[in-house]
Amino acid sequence: MLGYILKRFAIMAVTLWIIVTLTFVLMVTLPGSPLNEERTTNETVQANLEAHYNLDEPYYIQYLLYIKSIVTFDFGPSIKQPTESVNDLLGRGFPISFELGIVTIVVAVISGIILGIFAALKHNGIIDYLAMTIAVLGISIPNFVLATMLIQVFAVYWGILPAATWSSPVHMIMPTIALATGPMAIIARLTRSTMLEVLTQDYIKMARAKGLKPWKVIIKHALKNALMPVVTITGTLLAGILTGTFVIEQIFGIPGMGKYFVESINQRDYPVIMGTTVFYSAFLILMLFLVDVAYGLLDPRIKLHNKGGE
Amino acid sequence: MKKKSLWLIMFTAFMLVLAACTTSTGNEGSEGENSDSEAEATEENGGEKVLRMNNGEEPTSLNPPVGFDSVSWNVLNNLMEGLTRLGKDDMPQPAMAEDWEVSDDGKTYTFKLREDANWSNGDPVTAEDFVYAWKQLLNPETGSSAAFLGYFIEGGEAYNSGNGSVDDVAVQAVDEKTFEVTLTSPTNYFLHVVSNPAFFPVNKEVAEENPEWYAEADSFVANGPFKLESWTHDKEMVFAKNEEYWDSDTVSLDKVHWAMVNDVNTEYQMFESDELDVTEIPSDMADQLIDGDNVVIEEQAGLYFYRFNVTQEPFQNKKIRKAFALAINQEDIVNYVTKNKEKAAKAFVSPGFTTPSGEDFRDVNGDLVNFDPERAKQLLEEGMEEEGYDELPPVTLTYNTDEQHKAIAETMQNMFSENLGVDVELANTEWNVFLEDQKSLNLQFSRSSFIFDYGDPINFLESFVTDSSMNRTGWSNEAYDNLISQAKQETDEEKRWEMMYEAEKILAEEMPIFPIHYYNQVYIYKDDVKDIVRHPVGYLELKWADIQQ
Repeated sequence: MLGYILKRFAIMAVTLWIIVTLTFVLMVTLPGSPLNEERTTNETVQANLEAHYNLDEPYYIQYLLYIKSIVTFDFGPSIKQPTESVNDLLGRGFPISFELGIVTIVVAVISGIILGIFAALKHNGIIDYLAMTIAVLGISIPNFVLATMLIQVFAVYWGILPAATWSSPVHMIMPTIALATGPMAIIARLTRSTMLEVLTQDYIKMARAKGLKPWKVIIKHALKNALMPVVTITGTLLAGILTGTFVIEQIFGIPGMGKYFVESINQRDYPVIMGTTVFYSAFLILMLFLVDVAYGLLDPRIKLHNKGGE
Repeated sequence: MKKKSLWLIMFTAFMLVLAACTTSTGNEGSEGENSDSEAEATEENGGEKVLRMNNGEEPTSLNPPVGFDSVSWNVLNNLMEGLTRLGKDDMPQPAMAEDWEVSDDGKTYTFKLREDANWSNGDPVTAEDFVYAWKQLLNPETGSSAAFLGYFIEGGEAYNSGNGSVDDVAVQAVDEKTFEVTLTSPTNYFLHVVSNPAFFPVNKEVAEENPEWYAEADSFVANGPFKLESWTHDKEMVFAKNEEYWDSDTVSLDKVHWAMVNDVNTEYQMFESDELDVTEIPSDMADQLIDGDNVVIEEQAGLYFYRFNVTQEPFQNKKIRKAFALAINQEDIVNYVTKNKEKAAKAFVSPGFTTPSGEDFRDVNGDLVNFDPERAKQLLEEGMEEEGYDELPPVTLTYNTDEQHKAIAETMQNMFSENLGVDVELANTEWNVFLEDQKSLNLQFSRSSFIFDYGDPINFLESFVTDSSMNRTGWSNEAYDNLISQAKQETDEEKRWEMMYEAEKILAEEMPIFPIHYYNQVYIYKDDVKDIVRHPVGYLELKWADIQQ
């Protein structure tokens, strides 16, 4: 197991290095510059600023500086918000995105699985159709439309929830619903189809034949196997949702880190682009690793050290 | 399904509790009862008058010499104060300086600071604080984008461009409360210029001890109507009335809450659900909302315009440029496309600049670019003949990606086709790429905008002298360059304005750019919000703002 983990970490480091290199290449080939302003400052000032942010160095030096900043996890100051360091921005935004993300995932997974199970058990019944209608709607309504609708109904018409900003648990309700609906729908559909498949398996019939209580069959025997695909998809969803979502955070005025992914690129704020990319990639890679570990725990047939050899 | 319904029940219960809470505070939440609920809210805060605003996003920097954008300076203008402050009539009034003298040659200004001008920590505001701040603005190491504003000061440009020493910048603290500045040329509007946040003082003692004093509420020292009570980055700021402010008796508000919600739709919804007192109008709702009761439409000095690239065919030809300009019906664009009650621009300098004789620049110089499809067609023919074109070279109109710009561009495309019989291609690129292409003259025909930095037409007009970084058309005209440089040196105001009229006429004659509309600022206020002042040139003023039932 330890050997496997070490191996995985080595692969993760290489993956990260490739991502960083690609990001750097894309970044410098992108036309425009962080110092590109409507009104051009004079040459001396321009040169001073370039020197200050090391933009006057040849590319390979800049590249090495980036690698250094990643290894030390110190991305330096943001170019567009000069009083803030990238670490400050991430350190401030990430906990908020993370908090919202965790709640969202918990809500999405629990309600998705429950919806999926009931749909599968009452296959082709009214509950099934109802659940799947909700799921289809959840997948097809974009979350920003849902978000605006929620604000209009709950804040503007009924006045029972605050429209936006981020200061109390109450402020979390609408963003959570807006964010969780899509993943919930995906998980519900996935759970339903795998459950349907699992329920026809011989060992389920066997369990039933042995006279086990129906709910025990579902929870202990069927669900455990039906959850595998859900685990896979949750891992990737996690990385995306926990590091913040630009649109939902913007609509609800949530000070998370989602906006930095988009704004840093628009503004060519190189240190922030690097910081967010590395952070997100590292997070995603880690999540995928945890998913693999979770496989091993859920399904003894999957042996991790074998897989590691691939 | 049991768990699901449990969840639903819990959710409903939660809602009910919330609803109960809001009712008990008397907040009706329904429309039309705003003043009522406001009264309750005010009472609840111990009779405090709290104004709730939205700044959109985090200020880039609250260090006066650095900010240079509206998200920083709308905030800063209420926390700090320069030598002058623009009054309700948009004219500079004594502020930190209670009095000033101008030398006979119009170049040296001696400002007498108020004895009771203090920082929020009790320190006196001194002449030294201004010297410190202004030198920081011009310091090439600061890298401020606003530094060009300091080029009025003798030695300013040289220092900023690395050719001069800081000691040669002609700003001086004569004594603790006397500040003297010498300008390169008489600048009649200098009192307007110094009201700009770039010229605010910096508490030298505080700044030397903590160079990042402006980054947190705890260390921030204010000298304006309000002080920074708290600041949760990216989330909210709270202002409290600054008791140390010399004119604090005038300030009615006790607090100002600033949200940072960067979405106009949400902002409007927050206004509707009584979480904000002021909102902008979401662009797709302009139609429904613009004629509402509490809508305030104010001018903002600036121009939405298009640039021709005179180094690319066919726009090297003046007549062809004019043909394109006259084929655009600006009235139709503001009435049917933007629908935001902007004024259609029939010339370049926006209305609101008062001449020495008290008239408006715009009225004196009149309409210079009038929609005239007949004349446009004729000019196009003549121009094509001059250039020997049988067919007009292809024209591509480029704008930076944005729904509003796109709508205007498509309308223009239509107008060119209808009025000139010319098919124009549309292209759009992302802002940063667009700007770089425009600056390096890669675009043939492109969108632009200009917002005034200070209250004199020269601010706009000087953009189009040869090789200015704001020119971006490749256009160069000797007569124009001469007029602008003479106007900058002229001591006689009458003559100076004559030169500016003349310069604007050259722009219309040569048409390197052509105007679409002037800017305005449109806001909806709650019934009880009074006296928020927004200047055509300048920043938001909450000094006189009040909440009254």
